[in-house]
Amino acid sequence: MSCGGSPRDYGAAVLGHRPLGDGSGLLAVRCEEIASCAEPGQFVLVRPGTGNDPFLGRPLAVADAAGDVFKVVYRIVGRGTALLASKRQGDPVTVRGPVGRGFFSARGEKALPRKVILAGGSVGAAPLLFAARRLGMSRIEKTVMGVAGKGWEGFAEWLKEAFPGVDLYSDDGTAGKKGTVLSGLPGSLPPDTELWACGPQGMLRAVAEKYPLDGHRIMAALESRMACGMGGCMGCVIPTVSGNRRVCVDGPVFTAEEVMWNELSSC
Amino acid sequence: MNSLRADLSIAVGGLNLETPVVIASGVWPYDPVLWSPERLEGVGALCTKAVSLQPREGNRGVRVWETPCGMLNSIGLQNSGVRGFLKEYLPIAGKSGIPFLVNLVMESEREVRENLSILRESGDAIPAVELNISCPNADCDGMAWGISPESAARAAAIARSEWKGPLWVKLTPQAPDLPAVAKAVESEGADALVCGNTWLGMAMDLKRKQPVFRRVTAGLSGPAVFPLALRTVWQVCGAVSIPVVGCGGVSRWEDAAAMILAGASAVEVGSSLFADFDLPRKISEGLADYLADAEIPTLAGLVGLGRKEKEGGRPWAQD
Repeated sequence: MSCGGSPRDYGAAVLGHRPLGDGSGLLAVRCEEIASCAEPGQFVLVRPGTGNDPFLGRPLAVADAAGDVFKVVYRIVGRGTALLASKRQGDPVTVRGPVGRGFFSARGEKALPRKVILAGGSVGAAPLLFAARRLGMSRIEKTVMGVAGKGWEGFAEWLKEAFPGVDLYSDDGTAGKKGTVLSGLPGSLPPDTELWACGPQGMLRAVAEKYPLDGHRIMAALESRMACGMGGCMGCVIPTVSGNRRVCVDGPVFTAEEVMWNELSSC
Repeated sequence: MNSLRADLSIAVGGLNLETPVVIASGVWPYDPVLWSPERLEGVGALCTKAVSLQPREGNRGVRVWETPCGMLNSIGLQNSGVRGFLKEYLPIAGKSGIPFLVNLVMESEREVRENLSILRESGDAIPAVELNISCPNADCDGMAWGISPESAARAAAIARSEWKGPLWVKLTPQAPDLPAVAKAVESEGADALVCGNTWLGMAMDLKRKQPVFRRVTAGLSGPAVFPLALRTVWQVCGAVSIPVVGCGGVSRWEDAAAMILAGASAVEVGSSLFADFDLPRKISEGLADYLADAEIPTLAGLVGLGRKEKEGGRPWAQD
């Protein structure tokens, strides 16, 4: 299997579907071409149906990949994700991927740090789970996760199972401790340590602002509305210090110092 | 595409296309991998992303929004300008060996004159130009150049005087009298018409209680607009003699066949590539099978076949 290059479309099949409660779930998809090439931080576009409606694929981060199977985590936010939630074992599904620069390729030649802190908000946990597997537990300094609160109990249980020893927070204290991801992060980043983060834009911005001098050590996987997932439509751009850049192929992983957080529109 | 059951080659507006499937502007990135023959199976030609005189950052805020069987976009023609195009992207397009058209932004007369004069410096490296007259007319009232026959003719005349190579003009369906615009552009010497561009729409964000797009309106594309686009293709093909390229909502080979039966010589596909990269190959195969099954020896034999009066029947109404 040769990896790299632009993503492709594959007809695949759902191998398993584990509801995580509260409208979220874990989908396992059999697709060797994507599973064997994906790296943490990359994502796939999953088409919820077979016809023209819904029209576009849903970008979902790869949560794990091994052999010929990859996993994604969804949470129902609209019609497309509701359709994904109805998928059963054996259902055909069209997937495009793997898309984007992941946590490893985004760093270019830069060596891995000695330690990594993982910080995830809600389904932003997905790519960090894959990252943790590839990094190895010895390199993980700490894992901090946050969920909104009521309505996320099932998902929170899965987080505890997926990330043993996770420091878990929820806005209302219904899952883990009361607080946000920021409550669990250290006051300053220890030397030779990076922070890898994924979650809602507001969370990522807050993390970036917590360590204003260490933006180069924060790797953030961003979300954006997108249409093509191949760098063509320019629908997913974000403002960066080097101009508008595409989340789909220039990202989704950027260092926090690249992103102009103040100018991000919450789309 | 050697395995096709029929010859799909056709000459359209100064270009010889191996298939009548053209990738519409604004869709295909300048990724060398994607300009390889293997990734362009079934493609007859490609339109580049819009090229303006100066680099453009594009629009702020939400840029794409899914709609039933389609999508709205408000990208704002983000591009690196004509100099950036020539330096960074022309080499990629040139190496592909596939005919391509440089899609040109036209906001002002000066812009299009300078743009074409810069493109001319590259000589034969640029096979053809597709002039986009959907942009607001900066010299006049701000309405798109393509809205009225007069301003559309002016745009076409300027481009024609500056560009001797193949010139396609991409019309806007917002024109109240599209056949009149088409005739006006034809009379100024365009080699082909592309009919047409996205349809003006909008979306409302119920959570924020405000329009989704900062510019309020956005361009609707995708299968939802296909019947509208087919109607305009029928009307424009009835009004002009130069080749027409159908564009709007083509998402399967049957759509392409319908536009060709209505009189189009080729079709452009855009948004539906977002749903399926392999669409050009599928359309080409479907069209070839259709021709073979109907024992029509050439694609040209299908062009406008749907307009023919049936024996003993009455002519089709033109409106």
